[in-house]
Amino acid sequence: MISLAGVEKSFRDGAHQLPVLRGVDLEVGPGELVAIVGPSGSGKSTLLHVAGGLDRDYRGRISVDGKDLSSLPARELARLRNATIGFVFQAFNLLPGLSAVENVMLPGMLREAGGEPPGAVRSRAVDALIRVGLAGKAGAPPARLSGGERQRVAIARALFARPRVLLADEPTGNLDVTSGEEVIRLFAELAGGGMAVLVVTHEERVSRAAARVLQLREGRLDRLATQLGEFS
Amino acid sequence: MSARGLVWIARARIRADRRGALLDAAAACAGAAALVFFLALGLGVSAAARHMFPAEARLVEVVPPAVSLGGLLGGGRLDDPAVARLGAIPGVSAAWPRLMLRVPVAAPQAPPGMASSWPPGMTLQIPVVGLAPGMVEKDVGAGQRFADPGPGATIPVLLSGRLLEVYDKTIAPAWSLPRLPPGVSLLGLEMPVRIGLSIVPGKQEREVHDGRVRLVGLSDRVPMYVMAIPLETARRLHADYGKDPWYSQVTLLARRPDDVPAVADAVRRMGFNVDESERAAAERVGAVVSVTTGALVFLAVVMCVLAALAIARSLSASVRGRAREIAILQALGATPSDVHRVVLLEGGMIGLAGGIAGTLLAIALSLAADRLALSTLPDFPFRPGTFFAFPPWLPALGLVAPALAAVLGALAPAAAAARIEPARTLG
Repeated sequence: MISLAGVEKSFRDGAHQLPVLRGVDLEVGPGELVAIVGPSGSGKSTLLHVAGGLDRDYRGRISVDGKDLSSLPARELARLRNATIGFVFQAFNLLPGLSAVENVMLPGMLREAGGEPPGAVRSRAVDALIRVGLAGKAGAPPARLSGGERQRVAIARALFARPRVLLADEPTGNLDVTSGEEVIRLFAELAGGGMAVLVVTHEERVSRAAARVLQLREGRLDRLATQLGEFS
Repeated sequence: MSARGLVWIARARIRADRRGALLDAAAACAGAAALVFFLALGLGVSAAARHMFPAEARLVEVVPPAVSLGGLLGGGRLDDPAVARLGAIPGVSAAWPRLMLRVPVAAPQAPPGMASSWPPGMTLQIPVVGLAPGMVEKDVGAGQRFADPGPGATIPVLLSGRLLEVYDKTIAPAWSLPRLPPGVSLLGLEMPVRIGLSIVPGKQEREVHDGRVRLVGLSDRVPMYVMAIPLETARRLHADYGKDPWYSQVTLLARRPDDVPAVADAVRRMGFNVDESERAAAERVGAVVSVTTGALVFLAVVMCVLAALAIARSLSASVRGRAREIAILQALGATPSDVHRVVLLEGGMIGLAGGIAGTLLAIALSLAADRLALSTLPDFPFRPGTFFAFPPWLPALGLVAPALAAVLGALAPAAAAARIEPARTLG
């Protein structure tokens, strides 16, 4: 489902190139929840961005749902991000001018011509909010939601398009313990339903739920542990 | 992204920054209002000036030269052969001779029913011109005839419609006389005249005959303070009184306005002059109106450009301030091209909203200005009912111009938005 082979990525710092990923190999299959841990600045978010097609400036081979990202034109890559990949960010990244349900509707409204009418998109967005337990908050702007509620809206948005891959960057980083555990439980459920879930985190409670935990150190992935998480 | 999605997202972005959008729309509104108001004013005043100084673009007025070498160079007298030659000039579709009647005509009493408007003992000397019926045939009233009736019969006449306007707005109020009913209802009005009678000492003819004239139409092709009779009647009277038969003027009708300069050149080569006094007056007035309108429209265009710059500046700031939102859109499936189009559409929608408001504001302002002007200005001749003209294209321009200006203003911010790298921004 997600496959990275020999992925290298570096950033320019003046005249120097700073390598961040040095030949990363990774496979995440359907129904698998994989956690990547590592200290701040180790390149975890960068790994997620290249795996999700947000950053195309890398070397190596990445395929998602069988599609080689480097060979996809920009429009196809955008379509893949829209329909196949769901993103969840630490900072929630909700659009402040939109209500909760409108934020969830965004992937549907970004579809190309011939997609669902707005009424149907809204109806599915409401369903997604119900699924994450926010039925009563559809009209609320993000500013009026708690951190946990915002992250659940972000997850509902990521799940709106029924993606086959979920990429989450520190999804519990800004949440209290209870909210964080709800999110982890949801991710485990999603993986149980056949979704490939790749979570970048530095929190142990997330890694405990993962089928595999990999550590990103000096630009390389090491297998840290293999365990069945307590929620899986 | 579908067009529906584009509009939805652009609207959502505008809603999210209502205050900024409102300020931008206000700038576009000011530009549109100024553009529509000043253009409507210019068009309205131009129409009023054309009504005041009518000059038909296809007419060329030919007059004899001030100093003539006569037949030697083929110029000089305006007689029938000269009229034929003038009519044969390429680009001329008709040649209508005029004969200024050199036999004096005076009205010693008022038309029936208008005696109260006639000072006792007044005799009105009337300048008369003979006109070719073809020149005024469109202005002759229904059921009326403008042709020589023969000796002793009532002579059909035409007056300038503008003369009635001057009477109504200037003479009647000054002399406390009743105003005339609308022009067409005066048709058929008869008045006794004395042919050969002059109030100027030494100008009276030896023979003075009683006659009658009947108004058969009103025409802007009749000079303002002159009464027009059929050309044949004028020629007959000249023959009766032993006057020269030469025409005083020939009016040429060019096929197209573009033909006029070439026709005028040909006329001059034939040894005649072209009387451009009316045309020149109309052109002077037109030029003044055009220059004034042009200056005001330039000002309005500058305001539109400033609005576009304000929108450009505001959208640039918005793109910088909301880079993260744009990156999120890209993460959720928007292409850089989608982002580009969303920002352009955002600018266009703001400009269009400003254009709608500005156009409505301009129409409201024009109504208020008309009301104020008509209630304060005196009722002078040819005073228009409105100083503004709104041809259908003008409101459309009021909507399109600010929207287009806003889209142009949004070009640079849209390009900047499309260059946002989601990974770098979200990281």
